[in-house]
Amino acid sequence: MSLFLGPMCQHIPGHKSMTDKGQVLDLQPAKEVFIPLVAGANTNFEILVEEGQTVQIGTKLAETKTGFYVPVYSSVSGVYKGTEKRMHSSMRPQMHMVIELDGKQTKTQAFAPIDWNTADREALVEFTKQAGLIGLGGAGFPTYVKYGNPSGISTVLINAVECEPYITSDYMQAMASPEELIEGARIMGKMAGVSDVRVCIKKSHPDLIAKVEQASAGTEVTVVPVPDVYPMGWERVLVREVLHKEYDKLPAEAGAIVNNAGTAIELARMVKFGEALETKVVTVSGEAVDKPCNVRVPVGMPVEEILNHLGLKGDEVILCAGGPMMGKAIPNNKFVIDRAMNALTVLPVNPVPAIACLRCGSCTDHCPAGLQPVRIANALKMGDAQLMEKLGALSCIECGMCTYVCPSKIDVTENVRKAKRTIQMKSKKK
Amino acid sequence: MKYVFHVSPNIKGRLTTHNIMRDLMIALLAVFACSLVYYGTAFGFETALHEVALLAASLITTYVCEFLYAKATKQDPKLFIKNSFGCVTALILTMMCTVNVTIYAIIIATVFAIVFGRLLFGGFGQNIFNPAAVGRAVIFAAFTGASTDLLTSATPVSDIATNFHWLPANAEMVDTFVDSFGGWGSMLMGTHGGAIGETFILAILIAGAFLIWRHVIDWRIPTVYFGVIAILTAVIALLTGLESYNGIPAWLWYPAIHLLTGGVVFGGVFMLTDPVTNPTSPAGRVIFATGAAVLTVLIRLKANLPEGCLYSILLMNMFTPMIEQTLDGKQLQMVNKARIIAGVLLVLGLASCFYVSATVEPVTTLKSAATSEATSAATGEGDGEHASTEATAGSDEEHASTEAAEGTEAAE
Repeated sequence: MSLFLGPMCQHIPGHKSMTDKGQVLDLQPAKEVFIPLVAGANTNFEILVEEGQTVQIGTKLAETKTGFYVPVYSSVSGVYKGTEKRMHSSMRPQMHMVIELDGKQTKTQAFAPIDWNTADREALVEFTKQAGLIGLGGAGFPTYVKYGNPSGISTVLINAVECEPYITSDYMQAMASPEELIEGARIMGKMAGVSDVRVCIKKSHPDLIAKVEQASAGTEVTVVPVPDVYPMGWERVLVREVLHKEYDKLPAEAGAIVNNAGTAIELARMVKFGEALETKVVTVSGEAVDKPCNVRVPVGMPVEEILNHLGLKGDEVILCAGGPMMGKAIPNNKFVIDRAMNALTVLPVNPVPAIACLRCGSCTDHCPAGLQPVRIANALKMGDAQLMEKLGALSCIECGMCTYVCPSKIDVTENVRKAKRTIQMKSKKK
Repeated sequence: MKYVFHVSPNIKGRLTTHNIMRDLMIALLAVFACSLVYYGTAFGFETALHEVALLAASLITTYVCEFLYAKATKQDPKLFIKNSFGCVTALILTMMCTVNVTIYAIIIATVFAIVFGRLLFGGFGQNIFNPAAVGRAVIFAAFTGASTDLLTSATPVSDIATNFHWLPANAEMVDTFVDSFGGWGSMLMGTHGGAIGETFILAILIAGAFLIWRHVIDWRIPTVYFGVIAILTAVIALLTGLESYNGIPAWLWYPAIHLLTGGVVFGGVFMLTDPVTNPTSPAGRVIFATGAAVLTVLIRLKANLPEGCLYSILLMNMFTPMIEQTLDGKQLQMVNKARIIAGVLLVLGLASCFYVSATVEPVTTLKSAATSEATSAATGEGDGEHASTEATAGSDEEHASTEAAEGTEAAE
C-alpha cells in the first residue's frame, strides 16, 4: 500500500469454476470456415492460393504485404471459394477467406520441424516468423518481433495468469500439457538468450502451479505465483509485480519479454511437429450459456455454430468476443473465431442506471496504467484535447477497470475511449 | 435471440454509491446514538428529545429544499432526492452543532448548506465546499446568540482556547483542563459538553475504521491529517518547553490533547473525507490532508478562532481544484511532484511552529477563577467568544491560505 498511489489493481470474481473441469469439446464447422485476413491492425494481405484450389490443413493461404511479416495457414481441408467481407470480432468489416470443407481433414506439412536444442537463436526466431506464430493471449502481436533484438533482455515471463473473468482456455491447455508449456518456455528463453524463464500463475490455481512445477523440475524454468487480481495478465502489471520495474512503452525497457502461455504451448508444437496453428481452445462461458465449457475449433469457425451447439438462455443477451472486461460486445453472431481469440462470454442483459459522479477517485486508485480516468472524463466534457493528452489518455489499454469499480455505474472506460479518439482526430487534422 | 450492444466492460463491481452513502449514514447514526444516550442520561429525556428534533428539522428542511429545487429544474423529485444524498449533509450538520442550538437556527443553516452549499453548484458531486461545513459556518457567524437554555456547560474547545491559549504549560494546567471535563477517560469517550457528535472520539474512530474497511472513505486522509497534527503539535511542545505530564513527555501528551479536543477527529473522519470536495487522486488527498492539518494547528494557536478544524476544511476545499490541476498527468510521473508539495507544506507547517512558539506564551497559571467566570458571564456563553473574534480571524485566515498557496507554487 503506497501513500501516494492507489492499489492499481482489484480482485474480480473469476467465475472460473463454470468451465475449468471436464473435457474440451471438439467441434467441426458444418460447411465453411472464414479465415480472417487480419494481423493486429494490419489487413494488407497477399493471397497465395487460386479460387477453386484444393487446400489442406497446413497449406499456406496468404501473407502480409506490408508491416510485420505474418503468414496465414489453412486450418481445414477443402476448397478455397474466394474472399468475403464480413464482420470481424474487432467490430470492423474485414476480408475473410472462405474455405468449403471436404470433411476429410487431410494434412500437409506446413513447414519442417526444427530441433531446438541444436538450432541457434537466429534460426529459431526465423522459424517462428515463418510459422506465423502470433501472441494468442488476445493482442495477436507477431511473436518473432519480440525476439528480434534481445540485447538488454534478462528475463522471459510466460503469462499463464489469465486474469479475465470466466476464461479458462489457457488453464485447460496448461493442465493438459504442462510439458509442452515448459518446452515452449525454454525455446522462448533460448530465443531471448536468457536462462531466467518464469511461468506466472495465479495463486488461486494451486493445482496448476503444482503440475507446472513438477514438469519444470530440472530445467531453468521457475514458477512464480502471482496474486488473483485484475489485470494481473497485462504485461505492465506482470512486470511491476514480478520484477518491480516500470517501463514507458515496451517491457523490453525493463529487460523482460512477456509471452502468453498458450503461445508457448503452440510454439512447442510447431517446433516438434512442423504444424501451423489450426485449432483454438475457446472458453464459451457466462450466465446466459446453457452448457458452458471449453471447445476446440478450427480457426475461422463461425461463432453462430458454436453458440447453437451449446445453447443460450433468454431472449436478449450480450455477446462478448473475449472476456467480459476487454471483449467487445458484438451485436450479432456472424463473426468467426480468429487466431488471437480465446473466449466468448455471453451475459444476460442487466442495465444499471448511472448516477452523478461523486468524485470518489476509485477509478484513479485502481487504474493499472496509473491514469486519472475521472480527470480525463472532465477534460472530455470541456473538450480540452490538450489536457486529455497531458493526462496520458493514449496510454489507456481499455482494460475496463474504471467502469468496473465506479460506484456510480458510469461507463468511465467509454469516456476515456472517446478522449483517445478526440486526441487522435486532432493529431490527424494537423 | 437479440444480441444487445453495450460498451465494454460488461460486468460491474458490487460497490454502489447508494451503498457507500448507506454505510456512511450507519456510521454517523451510530455516533449520533452515542450522543443520545449520553445527553439522555446526563441531562434528561428533554435534551435527547431536542437533539432528535434538531435532526428532524434539518432533515425535513433538506427534503423540502431538494423537492422545490427538483420541481424548479423540472426533474423527477423522487429520483432527484434518491440520488442527491442530502440526508448525509443534514446529519453531519446537526452533529456539528451544540445541543443548545435552536430549531430556528438549524433550519436556516440547513437551507444555506443545501441551497447555497450544494444545489446552486449543480447538486450532488458538483459542490466546491463541504455543505455541512458551510451550514455550520453560518451558525458560527450569525446565530451565536440563538441558543436555548437547555444546557450551558462550557466546551473543551472554548475552555482551552480562552483560558489556556491552547498551550497548557505543565501537569497542573493539564489536569485543571482535563479534569473540568471529567478526566482523560471522559475526553476519549466524549461524556462532556461540546458539539453533538464531535466529542465521542472513540466511537468516531471505530466508525472511521468501519468506513475504511467498507471502502467508503480513504484511509490516507484521517491518517495523514491526524499524523501531521501530531507532528506539528509535538514540535510546538518541544519548542515551547512544555513540562512532562506524570512522566509522559510533552511531545506525547500535547498532541493527544489536540486530537482529543474539538472537531479534529470528527472532521478528519467524516468531513475531510467527503469525496465530492477533496481531490480525486491519492497523492492529491495526501496533500489536501497535510494542508488541512497545518491550517488547523495554525488557526487554533494563532488565529483567535477557538477551533481550526472547520475553517481548515473550508479553506482546503478551495484548494482542491488547484491541487488537482497541479497533479494532472500520469500518476506514476506525478509521485515525486506530490512528495515535494506535501513536503513543502510540512516544512511550512514546521516553520510556522517556530513562529507560534516564539509568539504564544504557554499558560503556567490560570487567571483567577473570579475573572474567568466574569468574562464568561459577560459574553453569556462559551460560543459568545466566537462571534467577537470573527472579524479579527479573517486576516489570519488569509495569511494562512496565502502561505499554503505559496507552498503549492513553490513546488511548481
